[in-house]
Amino acid sequence: MRLEAYVEFAKRAFSREGTYRFQVFSRVGSVLLRVFLLATLWTNLYRANGEQAGIPLHSMLTYVVLALLLDIVYGVNGAYVVREKIREGTIAIDFMRPISVPLYVFSDTLGQTGFALLQCVPALVLSAFLVHLDGPPSVLAFVAFVAAVAIGFVVNYFIDMIMATMTFWTMEIFGIQIMVQFIASLLSGSLVPLYFFPQGAIQQILLNSPFATLYNVPLSIWIGKIEPAQYAAALGLQLFWATVFGSFAVWLWSVGERKVVIQGG
Amino acid sequence: MIIRAEHLTKQFKSLRRKDGVVGTLANLFSREYDLKDAVKDVSFELEAGELVGYIGPNGAGKSTTIKMLTGILVPSAGSCTVDGVVPWLDRKGNARQIGVVFGQRTQLYWDLPLIESFRLLRAIYGIPHDRYEQNLKAFTDLLDLDEFIRTPVRQLSLGQRMRGDFAAAMLHEPKVVFLDEPTIGLDVVAKEAIREFIARTNRTRGTTYVLTTHDLNDVEKLCDRIIIIDHGSKLYDGSIDAIKERYGGKRVLTADLTVACADIEVRLPGTTVVSREGHRITIEFDRSRVRADELIVELSRTCELKDVTIAEPELEAIIRQIYQSGLEPLTAGATT
Ligand SMILES: Nc1ncnc2c1ncn2[C@@H]1O[C@H](COP(=O)(O)OP(=O)(O)OP(=O)(O)O)[C@@H](O)[C@H]1O
Ligand SMILES: [Mg+2]
Repeated sequence: MRLEAYVEFAKRAFSREGTYRFQVFSRVGSVLLRVFLLATLWTNLYRANGEQAGIPLHSMLTYVVLALLLDIVYGVNGAYVVREKIREGTIAIDFMRPISVPLYVFSDTLGQTGFALLQCVPALVLSAFLVHLDGPPSVLAFVAFVAAVAIGFVVNYFIDMIMATMTFWTMEIFGIQIMVQFIASLLSGSLVPLYFFPQGAIQQILLNSPFATLYNVPLSIWIGKIEPAQYAAALGLQLFWATVFGSFAVWLWSVGERKVVIQGG
Repeated sequence: MIIRAEHLTKQFKSLRRKDGVVGTLANLFSREYDLKDAVKDVSFELEAGELVGYIGPNGAGKSTTIKMLTGILVPSAGSCTVDGVVPWLDRKGNARQIGVVFGQRTQLYWDLPLIESFRLLRAIYGIPHDRYEQNLKAFTDLLDLDEFIRTPVRQLSLGQRMRGDFAAAMLHEPKVVFLDEPTIGLDVVAKEAIREFIARTNRTRGTTYVLTTHDLNDVEKLCDRIIIIDHGSKLYDGSIDAIKERYGGKRVLTADLTVACADIEVRLPGTTVVSREGHRITIEFDRSRVRADELIVELSRTCELKDVTIAEPELEAIIRQIYQSGLEPLTAGATT
């Protein structure tokens, strides 16, 4: 493996993103708008109904803002280009290079995400003017949060890659994509914390589902719903899902690749 | 020997599609396949430094052969090696030693300036910096890349893009370069530049080229040897001279006379008068039965010659004839 090439891919993706300046402003602007709307909504809900699911209002608002920032990070879909390549048949050209396509996509996604993270800084600072934000409970919590987001990023990449790889068999994955996104946004805790779902079996299943690794784990660490004693278990769960999705993604890709070299696309 | 193909065969299997509503439903469950032999039992060997034309009509199986040699298609039967590497078993290893240029699609990064594509390729192939700089300079000079090297690829003209593609395919100093219709859509000047580049690098760097094209001028100017395939099978493998000899033994002599040629007769074996127009007579003659000087002597016995031209058979005419008449596959013996 030539590390240099992959570093180069990531750097290029980063600077490529940098050329879309208007997108940066519009993205930060739309986050602020949504922060404002959701903050108003939750504040009124809490005023009418009192504290919910054991999450005080200030934690809830922090949760909402961070979830919107994570949207920026997970919204990067580097695997999208793979779908185009398969559709147009140009994937064959990538197969003629001494590189691994999934790793190339990973580096590219990493570069794009790096740039997305930069946008999170102004979005976070400006949001702090709109609503009160809690800091993380401790330095350890912050480290755990960063680790959880990193694993979430990897799981997110695998999910995107699995979807893109399906293009080897069917071009019509747009519907599936929309469905997965919808389910993920509900079950990951990006819209509503999972603690709002009925307690008991349902909530337990949701808290342990692969989608929970994306939003629920890091955000719960930040607002203190997951406590230091549970960090290892929470991160372990994420790693478990990362391994499952990773293995599936690698397997699926190898089958798709074999199909191309046997059937010619 | 750098490339060896042995009984190379590729059979495509595609699901048989039925039309209509019922047919569409049936397609979901159908296990009926159409089989298509894209390449059938093709064998050849290439020595390092050869520049071979790989030609055949549309759908003959040229691109399919190249895909197998580049490792992106697995043969259904037979095998091939490129400098000892079995392409589909070690695709990345093979990728490092080959270069590919497709006239139909670019391998440059669409959004990046040409030079950025080159830098990326440097990283991908791990080309040492000094080699990279040397090659870049050499190719920039040979292909006149200077004027557009900083332009994004999507803004380049086809001719400029092709020149960029050639440089991109050669930066890592591949031993073998596969060219799939590299001059398609180019004007005469651009074609000439590309041909010059191929000939030069073949001479000076010893790069082995496999050239697929429908422009037989490419072949005639560049290649000594051609391989012709049709319907997936090899029809001919040998020198261009030999094929002209074999299938195009006829020459055409055109002579301008001082007198009207209406009543001129040529009584030599193997000659036919094709036309008589005013002072110009056109005679076809079989080279193996009569020599040109004999014909000229015979002509000048009866009249004075102002001007004489002898035309070689055009490769294009010969190839057209081979495509149309569907010759029995020739293997050994056709070689010079
Ligand atoms: N992936 C595929 N599935 C099924 N059939 C295919 C596939 N690829 C090529 N073929 C068929 O195989 C045959 C050979 O195709 P190929 O592309 O090798 O021809 P070619 O000699 O390159 O032709 P051209 O000069 O038109 O480029 C054609 O009949 C084509 O339809
Ligand atoms: Mg072709």
